Amino acid sequence: MEKRVIQKDALVGIIQKMAENMVVYAPVKDEDNVLFKILEKGMEPLLDFDNTKNAPKNFFFPQTEVMMRYMGTERGKELFTGEGEAKEAVLFGVRPCDARSFVLIDNIFNDPKYKDPYYIDRREKTTIISLACVQPPYTTCFCTSVDGHPLSSEGVDVSLIDVGDSYLAEFVTSKGEEILKKMGDLPVADDALEAKKQELYEAAEREVNGAVPARAIKPWMDENFEHPFWDTIHHSCLACGTCTYLCPTCHCFDITDEVKKENGRRIRSWDSCMSWLFTIETSGHNPRPSQKQRWRQRTMHKFKYFVDNFDAVACVGCGRCVMYCPVNIDIRKIVTDISNL
Amino acid sequence: MQNPYIPIPVDVAKIITEVTTKDIKTFRLTFVNKEDEERFAYLPGQFAELSIFGKGESPIGIASSPTQPGYLEFTVQRAGVVTSELHSIEEGFRMGVRGPLGNTWPIDYLKGKNIVIVGGGFAFTTLRSLLNYMIHEDNRSDFGKITVVYGAREPGLLIYKDELAAWEARDDVDMNVTVDKGDATWTGREGFVPAVCEQVAPSSENAVAVICGPPIMIRFTLPVFFNLGFSKENIYTSLEMRMKCGIGKCGRCNVGSKYVCKDGPVFSLAELDTLTKEY
Repeated sequence: MEKRVIQKDALVGIIQKMAENMVVYAPVKDEDNVLFKILEKGMEPLLDFDNTKNAPKNFFFPQTEVMMRYMGTERGKELFTGEGEAKEAVLFGVRPCDARSFVLIDNIFNDPKYKDPYYIDRREKTTIISLACVQPPYTTCFCTSVDGHPLSSEGVDVSLIDVGDSYLAEFVTSKGEEILKKMGDLPVADDALEAKKQELYEAAEREVNGAVPARAIKPWMDENFEHPFWDTIHHSCLACGTCTYLCPTCHCFDITDEVKKENGRRIRSWDSCMSWLFTIETSGHNPRPSQKQRWRQRTMHKFKYFVDNFDAVACVGCGRCVMYCPVNIDIRKIVTDISNL
Repeated sequence: MQNPYIPIPVDVAKIITEVTTKDIKTFRLTFVNKEDEERFAYLPGQFAELSIFGKGESPIGIASSPTQPGYLEFTVQRAGVVTSELHSIEEGFRMGVRGPLGNTWPIDYLKGKNIVIVGGGFAFTTLRSLLNYMIHEDNRSDFGKITVVYGAREPGLLIYKDELAAWEARDDVDMNVTVDKGDATWTGREGFVPAVCEQVAPSSENAVAVICGPPIMIRFTLPVFFNLGFSKENIYTSLEMRMKCGIGKCGRCNVGSKYVCKDGPVFSLAELDTLTKEY
């Protein structure tokens, strides 16, 4: 793996230069939020921020997207076109927890039998440059509880680690090495920086809550689909779906049709297991009729079903659902409470 | 990369109104492109998303058998947006199918065994596919005795009436058609499906039961089969759930760790016992 050094004051310029020739998404300040935006001429990517409010999953799995268009013919409505191909892009400034979420949802969208062409096309054409969490940003961070790490490069093409007055840049994948060519001449990192990284690695790990027993509750979940505990967590839930929309690993979607006169389009939109509409059938039967079942589904999906299917917890410990739940439902507490049963 | 969300274009070649209430119709669909037909290799028990641009998609079991080349058939009850639209279209309409989706009746496992098919109401669609598959001259010798119990509330609600008569005329199918209550012209059997199963009493020896029907029918039929000595490994059924993608991604049709669309819809009772009771 190529390891180089980028001087601190040079990074913004490197990213801006890259943005002249290709689409670069980078964190920028937007009112009170930090959001990923296309870096237009004159815009400066944020280097010093906590994390973006939204998870970056929308770059591969947009909140809404057109899957195909159709047009009226004398026989009915017929396919007009599938959707166009994605452009090459760079996603700059992704936190390691969010980068790891891509690896997790690859299991869904890039499974051996059914490939999701929309997701895969964007994923393959996007290079991910991460900014490691040398100082984990939130007290709600718990990536180390769910097999992640604030300095992890899992799911990352280029990992940038703030080592003081410069960044240690690790070009993890072949896609990353391609980006290196666009970054100009960068000095090779020496062993001292590697030692510094190790020091930062251990320090950052100490800052993150690694005590959420996310893996340990699996045996209990295997046995306790029916348990009084499930009656205790959902009462305050408003079913707003914020947790699912902000979650980097939530991948559920709806497919709907939109028609204007004779022409129309088929659209995919994020959906949420927190809504009763998610599972209601035409007959009126709903297999998950109350918020209790829906919370059990969300918890079980992340900490049991996903583990059964892919041997990974479907949570990256970003803490967004904890921070933004309007009624303070805390997944860390749910998991911890289960482990104490 | 093949896009599994793009429907395969098909034409509605024939529409058969199955019941006197007119809310169940069978649609015969023919492929617009010959190569699509070759790619659409399926087995009984699988389903497909019927797709009408502008309305949406609906997951429906395939009612035809792969031994009937040239077309697909789906028997559909008018219920929601897509199925209501289907019921309003005419022959010649162009629409789409996505599939085949899901797993199949366990054909290899069924080979060499006696097969008991139990169906209620209009939940006889993929059972019809299985029956037509098994009695096809190329396949009939692969299976032992075939017993069928099929019931509906009243004679007018029995589907596939022409075929019911043809199956009854065969000497290699033990056909038992019943209605809950007959009418003036009905000369056949009366009685609920579970009771008829009890009277017919198929042997459980080297036998597999394949059961589809409304929940209430299944609830009272299963004890009959347990009493006859059928193990849970040898009773199969097919689940339904709300679906969108049909390929295990959109996340709504899971029962525990399994997706009905991808890992089902066919499950043995033994398999269902290992899953959560949330369907």
